Amino acid sequence: MNSSFIAFATHYGVPLETITLILMLPVVVMIIAFFRQVIGIKAFGIYTPALIIFAFLGIKSGSGSFWGGIKYGTAIFVSVIIIGTLARIFLRQFRLLYLPRVATVISIVALSTLVILIIGGIFQRTGLASVSIFPILIMITLVEKFVAVQIEKGSKSAIILSAETLIISIVGYSVASWGRLIESLQNYPWVVFIAIGITVLLGKWTGLRLSEYFRFKEIMKNDYLDQKK
Amino acid sequence: MITWIRKSSGILGMNSRNLSYIRPHNLKKAKHLADDKLRSKTRLRKCGLPVPELIAKITSWEELDNFDFSTLPNSFVLKPNLGLGGEGILVVYGKKKMRNAWIKADRSVVSEDDLKDHIRNILDGSFSRTHTPDIAFFEERIKLSKVFKPYSYKGIPDVRVIVYNNVPVMAMLRLSTKESEGKANLQQGGIGCGIDMATGTTTTALQGKTKMIEYLPGTRLPLSGIKIPYWKEILGMAIKAQKVSGIGFLGADISIDRDHGPVFLELNVRPGLSIQVANTEGLLKRLQRVEGLKVKSVEHGVRLAQNLFGGEIEEEIEELSGKKIIGTVEKIKLIGKDEIEKEVEAKIDTGAYSTSIDTDLAKELGFESVVNEFSKIDLSEYNIKPENEKKIKKDFMDKYGKEIEGLEDVGVIFSSSGSSIRPMIKLKFIMDKEEVSTKVNIINRKNLKYPIIIGKKDLKKFLIEIK
Repeated sequence: MNSSFIAFATHYGVPLETITLILMLPVVVMIIAFFRQVIGIKAFGIYTPALIIFAFLGIKSGSGSFWGGIKYGTAIFVSVIIIGTLARIFLRQFRLLYLPRVATVISIVALSTLVILIIGGIFQRTGLASVSIFPILIMITLVEKFVAVQIEKGSKSAIILSAETLIISIVGYSVASWGRLIESLQNYPWVVFIAIGITVLLGKWTGLRLSEYFRFKEIMKNDYLDQKK
Repeated sequence: MITWIRKSSGILGMNSRNLSYIRPHNLKKAKHLADDKLRSKTRLRKCGLPVPELIAKITSWEELDNFDFSTLPNSFVLKPNLGLGGEGILVVYGKKKMRNAWIKADRSVVSEDDLKDHIRNILDGSFSRTHTPDIAFFEERIKLSKVFKPYSYKGIPDVRVIVYNNVPVMAMLRLSTKESEGKANLQQGGIGCGIDMATGTTTTALQGKTKMIEYLPGTRLPLSGIKIPYWKEILGMAIKAQKVSGIGFLGADISIDRDHGPVFLELNVRPGLSIQVANTEGLLKRLQRVEGLKVKSVEHGVRLAQNLFGGEIEEEIEELSGKKIIGTVEKIKLIGKDEIEKEVEAKIDTGAYSTSIDTDLAKELGFESVVNEFSKIDLSEYNIKPENEKKIKKDFMDKYGKEIEGLEDVGVIFSSSGSSIRPMIKLKFIMDKEEVSTKVNIINRKNLKYPIIIGKKDLKKFLIEIK
């Protein structure tokens, strides 16, 4: 039973798929905000993980299964980052300026992806090739963010942030593929305001993040000793 | 879980730093000033704060083409104006003979072309916060101060002071290590030593993000107890910088130059949180303590910082030993005959056995008769030698002890300035709230700086700190 709002919108030609994805966006960004403010997982900001989650969703609708989204999504994500890193190391000797350098890296990653798709095709692994092209393009451009972080904060931080981005993306993707949630959004679109409300509350949250309990454990130990004394 | 939350209440987390401190106290204008190194440099200098000397700046490709690299000194620092977190900074220590090439800390050589490349990257915005075009500038390199020499690996240590409401609330000494490649940045593996705010002495130390250490890696040099020179000046400079920059929640970076003393390095509008781990103490409770205080002057702010957030080391020692810590000169209150009180400065002299006071001071304390009577006695009959000490004392007291009222004993003193027999009287004094009852000898100290020296016999309740 779809709500009257959804019925109204679909009646005038807005596809249900589009409405669901748009309503899903506030939920997805709420999850990313929650990871940052309460758990303390940073990832590449909010834009990149959100895009990747939708890329995963796109791959899922292409491959037809929930696990297909995770499998191919992660595979593309990891290979883009590996190729991006290699390309960056290779380009170091040419001493290019920042923007042209990133542009070259993206081009190399794009061509390599094409090669991977063809090789997959030769070995009859068509799952990856059947994935629609836009999610793949989104993932390729992600390499810009990765290279930028690598330059600014070093490879170690870039790898940690990528791993965090992947974790958030998988969690966000799982939530966004949850049938119950999709149904609720379709039946009761106002549910989205709950997500927005939680996001606003997260913006006022001044407590310690989960990760900070580990970071500051020495201080807590010290305070504990003080109290005993 | 509840005890966890209670224990963590004094710690400043990222969320609360951003929302409760940076947002309301560091306004956009102040942030822009801090991010613009050249502008903050001029502003700080105008207000009388010492900053590293600017050598030259390059604002465009044309300027770079026309720049004469041979005008650069042997050592300098090349920085991007809008650089972030120490990125894009190049330091050279010496110049190659005969050509325009310089030597970096790791002994690698930087040619003029390398410099030009680096400058082009800076101009292009590779290191700026928003990747917008930037300015490159050369400034004087700070020289390593002797105090820090054993602790420094290639970089110059600096002191980070967090200032809030015109009170320095927490500080740490940052040291560069091999892991941090000469950068004193904790994220890159540098060391942060917590600092006792009262004395400017280091306490606990942190390497990287979470590793607590006691010794400098690879050595047996303890990281606690490093006394930072110019401590009060550094605190004062940090407060002044807050006043002139308008940054309400400020991280002030101050270094110490071998020749010029403290030098202001950088204003920071987003000070990191690891300073808490280095000090093993939460910042939030300190910030809350100075909230709303009326700070009248820079000196007042320094005093508040020292009183509120320091003294732990001294208190700890006092607690452990039950002894008071005093300096080499202390104000004391003397209580003489008929409760006559007098306040004087006393020299603490562990080289002397007993306490000596000046004749005039003894008179003022009501011992005039003793002094006068004693001076009438002919002392030449005594042969003053160590082996005769007991005999002299006994003979003298038998002869005059009852005659002179107030004379408790005589002292036979053998000192570098000659040996003498001195009258001794009973006296009480109060030093650092401790009362001491003792016998002191009287001697003419007219030409000496302090009218009284306290000898080791009367110092049993104290520990002496040499400053």
